[in-house]
Amino acid sequence: MTDRNDSFDDLLHDALRNYNRPPDEREMPLDDMWQSIQVQAFPGRSRVSRYARWLPVAAALVVGIGIGRWTLVRGGQPTTPQPTTAQATVATSPAPAPEPASQSLDPATSRYLGQAAALLIALPAEANVGRPDQPFMKRANELLLTTRLLLDSQSGNDPAMRNLLEDLELVLVQVVRLEKERQPSRRTELELIQQALDQRDVIPRLRSAASEYAADD
Amino acid sequence: MTRTAFALQTTPQVNEPELIARVLAGDRLAGRELYNAHAPRVFRLAYRLTGDAELAREFTQDTFVRAFQRLADFRGDAAFSTWIHRITITVVANAMRKVRRLRERETDLADLDAVLPVNSSVRRLDPDLRDRLAKAIDALPEIYRITLIMHDMEGYTHTEIAEVLGVAEGTCKSRLSAARAQLRAALADFAKEYES
Repeated sequence: MTDRNDSFDDLLHDALRNYNRPPDEREMPLDDMWQSIQVQAFPGRSRVSRYARWLPVAAALVVGIGIGRWTLVRGGQPTTPQPTTAQATVATSPAPAPEPASQSLDPATSRYLGQAAALLIALPAEANVGRPDQPFMKRANELLLTTRLLLDSQSGNDPAMRNLLEDLELVLVQVVRLEKERQPSRRTELELIQQALDQRDVIPRLRSAASEYAADD
Repeated sequence: MTRTAFALQTTPQVNEPELIARVLAGDRLAGRELYNAHAPRVFRLAYRLTGDAELAREFTQDTFVRAFQRLADFRGDAAFSTWIHRITITVVANAMRKVRRLRERETDLADLDAVLPVNSSVRRLDPDLRDRLAKAIDALPEIYRITLIMHDMEGYTHTEIAEVLGVAEGTCKSRLSAARAQLRAALADFAKEYES
């Protein structure tokens, strides 16, 4: 009888575990909940957030214009990358001025580089909160896609630009992968990203473009 | 029952007093860090108590909003974890009273004579043990139900439960025994079938 009671208790305990069983932590809407919480709990910070949203745009303006001017200067030098067929045709015609190679650096490209710089600069702060949030990861994904498109476009013909884009692609792939990593390996990934940024001088190279513009201006 | 030991395993590894001071100074990132350390447990508990993903989400959000808004009142006498679980229990218990009243009204309208759990598809004559058990748990006095869920399902210790609920450990233990006894009594006919 006692054995039977024990068996029934075991059965009961097994059934208890399934009562209102919560989802696995990975399936919890933790980021979505945080979005709502921070709006209500940190209302004074919304002004800062609004300001922060403009940071990539500001960075895009500074770095983008800088890179544009930098490559304009380079475009006039003999080291200008080989022109495309279309550019060569234009160059041989007498009337218009020579088309600079920097023409490929349209406003969208400049904006993209500025956003990439802003994202990479913000990465350590995002990492401090444990894991970059959804908007951050979304932006990283978009930038990775743009990087790959640019690598296949005219921008990728410029060796210096191609080099920079390839390095950016490498770093952005690592950033995007952070989303799927769990905490211990995420920390390792972040360290690797930081190493890649340091070793390849990604951010200083973006900045040097801007400073060259400033020196010429 | 195999304990999940979830409570102890997820004890935060961060310097909480420092984090709390930063949150009080308006540091949103510190708030996120504090949230990351406690939100999974709070959500699990809210889910167990409500059985509904949307309600669990709403109550978890409400818990953290209240906690951050009242953080200046947190004196550090107890662990932050204990404090936030107290808020969780209060938020869920208060809100569920309203939800239950609403459900009971709906139940009356549907002409059912049993109060169904929030998320359940349980029907009155369902012989399945899991469904019978869910109904029996839902029928427990709330304070017994909370104790049972925290201890038997989420692996909180009697000490932790006693701190969260503000009662003596002995009280906590006797509530758990009473809850289990009520479940056995509610499922007595099933137990007889099982024994035969």
